[in-house]
Amino acid sequence: MNPIQPELASQLITLLAAGMLVIQLLMVVQAMLLTNIRLFAIQSLLLAGIAAVMAYNHNASHVYMIAVLTIIGKVIFLPWLLNRLVQRIQIHQEIEPLLNAPTSMLICGGLTLLGYVVARPFTSLDRLGNNTLAIALTLLLTGFFLMINRRKALTQVLALLTVENGVMLAAVALTSYGMPMVVELGIFFDVLVAVMVLGILVYRIRENFDSMDTSKLNQLKG
Amino acid sequence: MNELSTTLLTCALWAYVAGMVGALVFQRAERLANGIGFGLAAVGGCCGVLSCASALATGAATASRSFELFPSLIPYVRFSIHADALGCFFGMIVSLLSVALSVFSLGYARGYYGRKNVGVLGALFNVLLLTTTLVFLADHAFFFLIAWEIMALSAYCLVSFEHEHEETRSAGVLYFVMSHIGTCCIILGFLLLFQASGSYGFDSFHALGDKLSVGQRNAVFLLFLFGFGVKAGMVPVHIWLPAAHPVAPSNVSALMSGVLIKTGIYGMTRVFFDFMGTPPNWWGVTVLAIGTISAVLGVLFALMEHDLKRLLAYHSIENIGIILMGMGAALMFLHSGHSMLASLALIAALYHTINHASFKALLFLGAGAVLHATHTRNMEEMGGLAKRMRWTALFFLVGAVAISALPPLNGFVSEWLTYQSLLQGFGTTTSLIRLMFPLSGAMLALTGALAAACFVKAFGIAFLAQPRSEHARHAHEAPFTMLLGQGILVAACVWLGLFPTVFLKLLDPVTQQLTGQQLSQQLSLAGGLVLSGGSAQGGTVSTLGITLMLLCLLPVPLVLWVLFARRSRTRIGPTWDCGLRGLTPQMEYTATGFSKPLRMIFKALFRPRREVQREYDFSPYFTTTLRFESHVEEMFQTRIYRPLRWLVLRASRRLRALQAGSLQAYLIYIFITLLLLLMFAL
Repeated sequence: MNPIQPELASQLITLLAAGMLVIQLLMVVQAMLLTNIRLFAIQSLLLAGIAAVMAYNHNASHVYMIAVLTIIGKVIFLPWLLNRLVQRIQIHQEIEPLLNAPTSMLICGGLTLLGYVVARPFTSLDRLGNNTLAIALTLLLTGFFLMINRRKALTQVLALLTVENGVMLAAVALTSYGMPMVVELGIFFDVLVAVMVLGILVYRIRENFDSMDTSKLNQLKG
Repeated sequence: MNELSTTLLTCALWAYVAGMVGALVFQRAERLANGIGFGLAAVGGCCGVLSCASALATGAATASRSFELFPSLIPYVRFSIHADALGCFFGMIVSLLSVALSVFSLGYARGYYGRKNVGVLGALFNVLLLTTTLVFLADHAFFFLIAWEIMALSAYCLVSFEHEHEETRSAGVLYFVMSHIGTCCIILGFLLLFQASGSYGFDSFHALGDKLSVGQRNAVFLLFLFGFGVKAGMVPVHIWLPAAHPVAPSNVSALMSGVLIKTGIYGMTRVFFDFMGTPPNWWGVTVLAIGTISAVLGVLFALMEHDLKRLLAYHSIENIGIILMGMGAALMFLHSGHSMLASLALIAALYHTINHASFKALLFLGAGAVLHATHTRNMEEMGGLAKRMRWTALFFLVGAVAISALPPLNGFVSEWLTYQSLLQGFGTTTSLIRLMFPLSGAMLALTGALAAACFVKAFGIAFLAQPRSEHARHAHEAPFTMLLGQGILVAACVWLGLFPTVFLKLLDPVTQQLTGQQLSQQLSLAGGLVLSGGSAQGGTVSTLGITLMLLCLLPVPLVLWVLFARRSRTRIGPTWDCGLRGLTPQMEYTATGFSKPLRMIFKALFRPRREVQREYDFSPYFTTTLRFESHVEEMFQTRIYRPLRWLVLRASRRLRALQAGSLQAYLIYIFITLLLLLMFAL
């Protein structure tokens, strides 16, 4: 296999990462739950694309594995699981964020700025994919913001998954050969198990409180 | 260490392990579990005594090398053992007690048959012995801390062994909390040392103090003083001791008082003398002052106690104080460059350590035998036990004489050595601080006198006169194994008292290691029959001579009787009872009454309160009912710990506002922390 031109690979990765960021920002303003899940699936697909480009460029077979696992897990299985959950508990389709869309957008803009400023010392390094650290950090921060901004447990699960996408992006793009296989498998199964548990938890919260609003959990406080 | 003693040491450690496993495996069969658990502990103790004593006697301990107990898989942690002179000395103490206490426990644990799980008791007892031995022998900070922590936890489990009583549970928790506060300080201290040496091995810490900056050195000193002080039970962090010792099973109280609190002394000796180089003067002054205060307060609070085991626990505080006095004086002498005197003071401290271990364990075993027979710890309900428990009474008396520092027993020898070092210390400096020496000497004298008063009370009230309760009336002698366990310790007390110059030879390698001096030659005169203060100004004493003199005086009354009184008539009649109809136990002198004069003298300290309610029909002289209550304020509880606890609780209540119960709020906490950390990285 001939590695493709480094410039081309670099541009490809930057493009895909930028796509991830755009989708993240779309999720911030998108009010429909099912659309959100779909957006997450597309974002994961882009992540898988980045992994594939990295694998091809470095000729590293286990990074392909990551791409495949990401497609199976995050593009197909988890969205399907969340979709089913949404249908089963029949919740209101509209997300009711705490802050309105323009304010959220402004805050996310600020967080993106912060991400780029923090990552600046690393972008000067002459390595493939080094400019993606800023995007990975931004995904992490905005994902966190999403988690805070939303009320329902299910939407928070979704936000957590985007945070995880950010972490994975950093892992794949920055370490060039990816992290050791064991670590990545570990992270992957962590996410899977976390979502399973959270799914069950969501179901239970709804059963006990007749709502998925986690702000009602403060009734548990002694 | 030579081949033989290393083998014996390994045997001892394996015996404890086997005892633990065996006792757990056979926990269904109580007798078997008892026999295996405590039997193997006794075997382990024997091996340990032989190993450590031979290593000290042949001088092999000075040339010993460290070896790995088992290889470690984790970097920075090495399970290495180094049986150097200091470690061997303390190892000898724990092994000696292990023999006596295990033999005692064979009988004592029978009291738990059918009630409690004897297998678990035996297993925990072995774990405590094993980890305490390892604490003394560990050559690596991490290994030391691991052993230290398991020791603390197994001691906690043993204290709470009779957990069905509320008092026991709260005492256990108090011990747990105090112990961990101490451990926290010790860990910080080791981290500071690691920072300077770059390794966690004890060999790299040797004489490290001279390389540290002044601030670091003082921080290390204070951290270790506090951390080990909690375990040793020095004032003012002693409060767990009188709570935990009484509620534990008596064999465990003996082990805790004899050995467990000595781990604190070991730690201080190891750090202050081995690691820290030449100390500044205020270290010694601090330790001496704390020791003096602990000694006096310990014995004063002991005097006010009517619970036999609590009384003994307070005496442990007193004796730790005496040990610390020797250690503080040694530190001061090291500072002023008098290494001879420093060795003398250190010898006094270490000698008192083994002495206290033997007589305090003996007294706790006696208290255990009494508790076994009367089912009460309250002295006011005992009395008349000397007739019913002859041997126990005799053994307890030996222990009482030893702890009161009366010649010729061992307590006298070590306190005499402490006096000698304090009195000679007056001439070492010209600064005003030298007044500390005679002052603490005087306090030591006061302590000795008060201790004697306290044991007159303890022995008199508990063993003499008539029984004060039904329980005491039906008391019976303890079984043979329990008596044998006490007998071993009696032998140790007597031997250590009569032959100090022989024993001092064992201390030579220890002082050689820590101060570079060997004193046993200078301290023994007349072929070892006379103990000397070590210099021309010092005094001399011979416990053996005193004993011989006492023995010679014994026949004198007989001779006088034969010479002058043989002809006189003997008449046997009832004791004079002031014309009442017979003497009853109610007329006896009580422990409260006995200690009243002292309570009045030290009124400012005790703040005694008394409540009397009487009801009468027509004249106050003919009372129908009488209620009497007497309290002594527990100064440290009310003045220090209660306000402290109140502050902590109030602060936690404030902090609870953080626990909003809202998921969003928690996420925001994390998010803000993350943002701040990122900003910090910029």
